[in-house]
Formats: sequence, structure tokens, C-alpha cells
Amino acid sequence: MTRTRGGVFSCGSLLCPPSRHLFLHPSIPPSLHRILSLLLWKTFTFDKQTFHHPSSHHTARHVVFSGDRMITLLTVISVVLLASVPRSESIVIYTGWERHALVGSDVRLSCSFFSWHWTSEDVTFSWSYRPDGAKDSISIFHYTGGAPYVDNKGPFRDRLEFVGNPARRDGSILLKNLDFGDNGTFTCDAKNPPDIVGRSSSVRLLVFEKVPVQAGVITGAIIGVVLGLLVLVVAIYYLMRFLVARRVFSLSVSKKKGKGKEGSQQKQIF
Amino acid sequence: MLALLGGIFLLHLTGIILLLAATINNAWWVTDTISTDIWARWVWVNGAWNYTDLPDIHTYGEEYLQAVQASSVLACIFSILGLFVFVAQLFTLAKGQRFAFSGMFQLLACLCIMIAASIYTDRFHKNEAQGSYGPSFILAWISFALTFLSCVIYFVLRKKTA
Repeated sequence: MTRTRGGVFSCGSLLCPPSRHLFLHPSIPPSLHRILSLLLWKTFTFDKQTFHHPSSHHTARHVVFSGDRMITLLTVISVVLLASVPRSESIVIYTGWERHALVGSDVRLSCSFFSWHWTSEDVTFSWSYRPDGAKDSISIFHYTGGAPYVDNKGPFRDRLEFVGNPARRDGSILLKNLDFGDNGTFTCDAKNPPDIVGRSSSVRLLVFEKVPVQAGVITGAIIGVVLGLLVLVVAIYYLMRFLVARRVFSLSVSKKKGKGKEGSQQKQIF
Repeated sequence: MLALLGGIFLLHLTGIILLLAATINNAWWVTDTISTDIWARWVWVNGAWNYTDLPDIHTYGEEYLQAVQASSVLACIFSILGLFVFVAQLFTLAKGQRFAFSGMFQLLACLCIMIAASIYTDRFHKNEAQGSYGPSFILAWISFALTFLSCVIYFVLRKKTA
């Protein structure tokens, strides 16, 4: 008799597996399929003879979760699924989707990748830039052979800096002193030999004018303070009324008690 | 009696609507191509109205613009609250009492819109060659008059029936 953990519920016709042949994933080979379905069936059902409710006339199958069978089954299923997952050999590159920055400020464009292989020494990072409205993109940064090569002729000369860590799969760059002409799409392409097949990823840079934050702040502050004062005044008014009423009430009660005690004392004396 | 109440309610409501129109519509100062203040500026460019930001805070009225914005918004808020307070007081006030609370709110609204309109009149567009005050500005002063009238009525009126 196996240990039972979990709930017991009687099986309607839809819930109960009709036969011992369960349909699992089509990618599982047939022999394994048979073993798995048998294991599943044994785990989740009891035979009619060993367990049936004395009062019920219809022969319902009772489904019970059996403990250690469950664990073995789960391990087997997980191993099978992991083995059957197709190993994608391509590299996956992550950058942001959009970056917003103010004119004159610096912005860090991050680029990272995921690869099944270890980070090789020949890992390369490549950034290219396509201005808004243009069709061609130019290359502005390249990291290879352990050394970064920044743009020294194009629109970003003296404004580009490599702040990434290739050993940690980080190929981020820092753009300094932004201008409105820097609006555009930046594409990062990373290669981790032998993992070289992959899609490059793009991040869009949007450069904004300086926005005077102070404008809305002062307005909001004035409104908030005045409304707050109003609420405070109303609250104090009602509080004072409540307190005064209570004080008057307690005074009248104590006077009555005092009179009552005097009366009783007089009675005792006489 | 009911007509009087209805009239007072309508007066208050009109005040609220005019206040909202003055605050929300960006038309305190109007020229041929510009309709401006107090939140943004409409500029007539190439046959279409463009919604643009106001000039930089330090060159255009400094912090007075924020004061105008804040007090006109506060005037709207106080007036709307006053309407609800008036309706509540209609049911809860004892006989012979005055509508003091609603009068207070209308007084605050009147003061706020007066502050907003006065600051705007004194500090903006003093040296402009062309252009004139727009509809929102006029509505702001009219709503000042209406809210003042409303406030006086609330302070004078007594509740007749319980």
C-alpha cells in the first residue's frame, strides 16, 4: 500500500483517463511513451478492488496522488523535456528599446548577449548608427582582439567611450554631450565564436530639449499648500467642537455625581 | 422659493463654468497669429494652429505665471466644492441659519480668481505693440463678479423651511 498525500476526489467520466493509454508529447519515442503512461496511470489511480466506497453503488474510480511515485515521475518528465528541447545555437543580443536624454547630457547605451558557449577570448562587439531619416548606417565602434576601437572620423569622434566589460558579456558605450543630430537608431552586434549566428538588436535614441521642471512644481506646490491649509482648518474646527462638547459633557456628569455623593453622606450622618 | 433656489444654483453653476473656461482655454492674450497663456501658446504657422510651449520661465513673467496658474486652478476647485457644500447645506441647515459655509467657499474662489486676474493684468504684456486681451481674460473678470455676487447672496440668505 503506497503512502497517500494530497486530496482524494472521485472521477467523473471526463476527468478519468478512459484507458491506460495516455497521449503525451509526440516528440517522445514510443518505448518511453509506454513507460511514462504506465507510470502516470499507476501514480494517479488506484484499482477498483483496493479502494471503493461502501455506500456508492456505481463503481467510481478514485484518483489519489501517491507521494514517491509522483516524485519519480516528475524527475523523469523533466529530464525528458530538457533533453527534447532543441538547443538553439544562435546568440541572443539584448539592448534597450528606446533611450531618452537631454541635450548636452551623456547617455549610456547598454548591450549584452546570451550564448550557450563560454565567453571566448575572440568575442567582438560592434555598434553602428543610422540617423533618423537616413537609409545607411555607419559603424561607430568595434571591439575585437581584446581592444576597443572608437569612432575617430565620424559624427561621434571624441564623444564616444567604451564602458563595457567584455568578459562579463557587456558591450556598453557612453555617448557624451548629446546634440539634436544624434537622434537615430543604434545597432549592437555581438559575436561569441563559435556562436556567431544571431540577430543584432537596436536601440532608439531620442534627444529632448531642456524642460523647465520648475514651472509645474511651483504651481503644484501653491495649490497643494492652500488645499492642505483648508483641510487643516476644517479639521481643527471640528476637533475643537468635538473636544468642547466632550468637556461640557464630562463636567455635567461629574457635577451630578458630586451632588449624589453629598446626598448619601448626609443620609449616613443622620 | 424654489425659483429663488434654482436661480442661485444656476448663478453658482455659471460661475463655475466661466471659471473653468477661463482656466482651461489658452486665450488670455490674443494677437493675429498667437493665442497664449496661461498653460501654453497656440501659434498660427503655415495655415494651421500649432501647440507650443510658453517662452522660458525666466524671460516671460518669471514666477508670476505659476502664481496665476495656481490661483485660477484653486478658484475652480473652491467654486466646485462650494456647489457641493451648498447642496449639502440645503438639507442639513437648521431653520433661520445662513449659508455661511458655501459663502466662505465662494468668497475664497472670488479672492483666488481676483488674485490670478490682477497678477496677469499687472505683470504681463505691458509693452506689447499689437494684440489684445483674449476671451479667457475677460471671462476671468466676469467670473470674479459672478462669484462675488454669489458669495454675497449666500451670506445674506436665510433658510426659510427646515
